[in-house]
Amino acid sequence: MSTAARTASPAGHLLEREDALAALHGAYAEARAGTGRLILLGGEAGIGKTAVVRTFNAALESRSRVLEGACDPLFAPRPLAPFADIAAQTNGSLREAVEAAAGAHGVFEAIRDELVSPTVLILEDLHWADEATLDVLRMLGRRIGAIPSVVVGSYREELEKAHPLRVVLGELATVTGVERIHLDPLTAGAVAVLAGGFDVDASELYRTTGGNPLYVREILDSGGAAIPETIRAAVLTRIATLGREAQALVEAVSLAPPQLEGWLLERVCSEVVDRVDECLDAGVLTSTGGSVSFRHEIARMAVEETVSPARRLDVHRKMVDALAAPPSGRPDLARLAHHAEAAMDREAVLRYAPAAAREASAAGAFREAAAQYARALRFAASESPLERAELLEGQADAYYLTDDQLAAIDSLQEAIAFRRQACDEPGDARLLGRLVRHLACRGLLIEAEEAGAQAAAMLESRPKSHELAEVSNAMALICAYRDDADGAFAWGAKAVELATLFDDPATAIDAAITVATVKTFRDGLEASSELEHTLALARRHGRPDLVARALDDLALGAMANDAHEIAARWLEVGLAHCDEHELDLWRLAMLSLRVRSELDQGLWTDAAATAATIIAETRDSPEPGLQARLVLALVRARRGDPDTGPLLVDATAIARAATDPGWGAALACAVAEVAWLERRADDIREATDAAFSEAVDTSSWRTAELGYWRRRHGVVDALPADLQGPWALQLSGDWRSAAATWQAKGRPYETAIALSEADEEPALRQALDLARELGARPLAAIVSRRLRELGVRDVPRGPRPSTRENAAQLTARELEVLALVADGLRNADIAKRLFLSRKTVDHHVSSMLRKLDAKTRGEAVASARRLGMLEDP
Amino acid sequence: METYVIMRRNGWRNPESFDVAAFASMSEVERTPDEIAWIRSYLLAEPDGTLGTVCIYEASSPEAVRSHALRAGLPIDEIVKVADTIVVRPDSAAEAA
Repeated sequence: MSTAARTASPAGHLLEREDALAALHGAYAEARAGTGRLILLGGEAGIGKTAVVRTFNAALESRSRVLEGACDPLFAPRPLAPFADIAAQTNGSLREAVEAAAGAHGVFEAIRDELVSPTVLILEDLHWADEATLDVLRMLGRRIGAIPSVVVGSYREELEKAHPLRVVLGELATVTGVERIHLDPLTAGAVAVLAGGFDVDASELYRTTGGNPLYVREILDSGGAAIPETIRAAVLTRIATLGREAQALVEAVSLAPPQLEGWLLERVCSEVVDRVDECLDAGVLTSTGGSVSFRHEIARMAVEETVSPARRLDVHRKMVDALAAPPSGRPDLARLAHHAEAAMDREAVLRYAPAAAREASAAGAFREAAAQYARALRFAASESPLERAELLEGQADAYYLTDDQLAAIDSLQEAIAFRRQACDEPGDARLLGRLVRHLACRGLLIEAEEAGAQAAAMLESRPKSHELAEVSNAMALICAYRDDADGAFAWGAKAVELATLFDDPATAIDAAITVATVKTFRDGLEASSELEHTLALARRHGRPDLVARALDDLALGAMANDAHEIAARWLEVGLAHCDEHELDLWRLAMLSLRVRSELDQGLWTDAAATAATIIAETRDSPEPGLQARLVLALVRARRGDPDTGPLLVDATAIARAATDPGWGAALACAVAEVAWLERRADDIREATDAAFSEAVDTSSWRTAELGYWRRRHGVVDALPADLQGPWALQLSGDWRSAAATWQAKGRPYETAIALSEADEEPALRQALDLARELGARPLAAIVSRRLRELGVRDVPRGPRPSTRENAAQLTARELEVLALVADGLRNADIAKRLFLSRKTVDHHVSSMLRKLDAKTRGEAVASARRLGMLEDP
Repeated sequence: METYVIMRRNGWRNPESFDVAAFASMSEVERTPDEIAWIRSYLLAEPDGTLGTVCIYEASSPEAVRSHALRAGLPIDEIVKVADTIVVRPDSAAEAA
């Protein structure tokens, strides 16, 4: 009897067994043609031999005769057990032969008689077969070519050296008509298919089961338990058949994942090392390249659980001693750290875990590095504050590089506390400088500024130091974030001076980038030549991260000066640079600039696509995540599309976790604008009060914008008198100047918004055209309503401003041209009227004719009237 | 996937041009089955003699609806999200077909 491992996919299709099934069907076809075959189907326990046989069987359906028999898993199996099973399915001579104990020869004769008409004879679990059954198998194999049937025998490949089946397999190896099929474990891909629909980690499932279909299925059926009871029982039953010494060996191997090398085996369990063959023969362990290991991680885990605490400590201690002095090469630090911890050997943990962490970091395995530091810290309670601080600093670095910025901040803060305890002021200040960076990155601007000020205060009373260079650099950045140009210049200059003095070009370049960026914001695009200079410096010093920052800031500076095309070019260079150097966080930062630039230019389809890319990103970077959600929500709201709510909820959570007033203001503006477009009755005053007063307090550039949207919701604020820019113009009622400013900035939607406040027909018509061209349905509806209120007649009725022209998919400009054509104007006149070139008008007219499927202007006008796109004359 | 109602008023001049559009819609849906699925449409007899539609689609986002419309050359007046579906009885037109 055998457990059927179900490797069927959810669709019922057996995964990765196509070759085996094809071989069986091929053999059956040949047998029907007169040449029989013996197929020996081998594989490890649980590999799915029975499932293959059953599937083959099912495919044959009733077209063929199938006889089945299985061997007994008993220490003393019944002689000829499978044939007794089969005899029960037949009548006549086979039953007689079995009952009469006719011996192997008699049974073979009787079986052969059963097989004269095409039949499939299945013999399962031949590894348990008694001698007589194997004799029958041997005879069947030798004569199979003359029997028009297929015999399929399944067996486990983990056979002891002297197993009788081995002998038979050896004898039959070269016989014509006998074929062996080996079933491999499932691939990771197949395991993932089986795991589909279950709440389990497919790659972890593959790792623990090694792709063994039985184990996979058991774990899935047990609801993802680490070691299902059925597997535990199966593994332990098998171990129980081993001798005491072999069991001790298996235990030792279970404590030393992933494998135990030959030399370790000798040192760790010298007294039982000669039992290796027994374990291999029993199929409990497997051997590759001089190492022994479990076939399946899950079996190892099952055994490990049963090892007594005292034995564990003993094995782990021996492992530490042995691993510390390998016969060749350097000691394996990660394994040493693992066994040192398991042996509760504090000294060894503190020796090996930090070293293993540094090694992991150097190899780019930052997650492992963080784990090794955590291990060392668990044993460091009695170490000096400075030693603990050092471990925490290493851990903070590792966390930062695994994108876990919040954990990095925690570690740094703890490290600072220890440095403070040790009265190490320079160290304290240096860490504060680093903390500033991390905090600023998460938008924790107030905390960042506090940390920076503390550090600066500590260091400025001391001799000039490299630490002060780093802290000044961090302070310059904070000032830049807070629109404090003078502060940024002062701190930046100090950082450059000190960094140069202490020969730290990276910090000097970083500070220079900050200063140049602030200048580009303040003085305009001409000042960006200084930024380009820092870019060249970063390149010359071979610092890809600083190159990325310079490129990012060049794009940012261009955007601040409304030079969207220049920004787009820098971003293209920058994104290619980030891809090349795998600078994921910088890539996200640049995408967040791109998404805002696309929104500003009215490129909504592009903006939505970029936003979706950022949102789908797994790396944790709050600012781009916030920006992307705000932009996508605005695109949807401006188009009149649904699903803005969830985006704003997520954006609110991101902004709330930060203390950067800029983030809060951006969120508040978006929330108010969306609510206005969706005509929601939300209390915008309450929702934006905090952000608004913060914007006023910090003289944020968004103050006027937020004030404007609050005004649109009926909230009248006392605004600072010195507000400037187009939003301020709109607030003061000067929509004409505002529209002109927006237009000069290349911001079509904001231009339309400004024009929509006009109380005269031409401006409102212009607003309507712009809104339609952008696909801004809600704004178009608002403007249409205003036009009708002014008594304008031929405004298409809202709320679907694009209804009419959509009949032929004409653009707003083509509609305009059409109307003039209908009035009988020639192209030259139309060009004059619309301030367009003659060539452009020719183009619009021919495009319009094509869309209306008209050959002449007259036809086009008639067709447009019929479609209701033109008022009747 | 979310369910959306898409209004395409006065979209087509005659049944022939609508058939072309329906074919284009179907082929585009097949190209991105993970993003959009066409559930059903009601063809509208617009007062001016043209044809419009009210379409029910399932899509991953409003942008997926727009991208499909752009590729298939379909107009969009409005996309509205469906909060719930209440089927009182099957469409008689569908029954008859």
